[in-house]
Amino acid sequence: MLINAYSKSVYNIALNFFAERDIASDVTQEIFIKVYHNLDKYREEKNFSSWVFAISRNYCIDYWRKNKKYMINRQELDDNIASGKSTPEENLIRESEIDGLRKKLAKLDPELRLAIILRDIQDLSYKEIAERFSIPEGTVKSRINRARLKLAQAYMQGDA
Amino acid sequence: MSKKCREIELLLSAYLESELSREDAAGISEHLGDCPDCLAKKEKIEELISRLSDLQEEVPFFLKNRLYNIPEIIEKEAPVKFLVFPKWLAAAIGTIILFLNLFYFTNIFPPGNRTLHQFVSSVEKIIVKSGGWIERIKESKELLFFTFFNKKAVEVKSGSEGQDVNAEKGGKNG
Repeated sequence: MLINAYSKSVYNIALNFFAERDIASDVTQEIFIKVYHNLDKYREEKNFSSWVFAISRNYCIDYWRKNKKYMINRQELDDNIASGKSTPEENLIRESEIDGLRKKLAKLDPELRLAIILRDIQDLSYKEIAERFSIPEGTVKSRINRARLKLAQAYMQGDA
Repeated sequence: MSKKCREIELLLSAYLESELSREDAAGISEHLGDCPDCLAKKEKIEELISRLSDLQEEVPFFLKNRLYNIPEIIEKEAPVKFLVFPKWLAAAIGTIILFLNLFYFTNIFPPGNRTLHQFVSSVEKIIVKSGGWIERIKESKELLFFTFFNKKAVEVKSGSEGQDVNAEKGGKNG
């Protein structure tokens, strides 16, 4: 069944893209509504997973663009709280390491974010990612390398 | 950052995933041994790759329930289609109307223009005639109505008058 097969993948894309559970749940629901509405438009020559991913990707990027201001403000607010008055121990209590990593991930460019989600979180091969994005494998590799470097730099500089 | 460090940066992921040739990989290993900055970056990326796999989560139960209800919601929301009108038919009709207008209002194809005007005038005649018939039917209907009810009224009137006359006659005789 459609939901059993794809809900985990779609939910994890949304969750790691927005780093917010509430938003991820709403976005996942909206993506599945779109999938059901557009089922008759699906052409069999395209891989179904790639088609579902294309809908998820477009919806996540659209949602992010529409709410960019709010999300950036929220991220800045979180950063201020984390860097200022609270001690590292308090920060650890406030958010787990996983949430911290997710928030850093959410600061990357949307396309870099999606590429790293598919590769390092969902463990897809470069070929599969290239199919889903409809771009050459070489571009996928360079995007993932850039994403990893940016994420590593964010950690090393200790920002956010 | 040196030029060499920038070059190494571009190859770090491929190096970590063992996708480079032995020579290239050996060159990078050598550089990493000499450059603490690049080594720190490489170690951080390695650590991140292993930690990122922990970000995968199961779908919450409440969300799965919401997702299972989507087909039902969509069925309820689906608008009822009263008229199935294919797009190609609409386009064909539109094109025909456009051409007819073109022939009717311009004289680019005189026989077509003439035929259309004849057709329109014959349609107008039919409408006028039918209008006349409708008027006639209405008139005759009114006439029938008037005749029938008037007759009844006259009968009623004459009947009551006859009764009065008889009564008068009876009174005189009595």
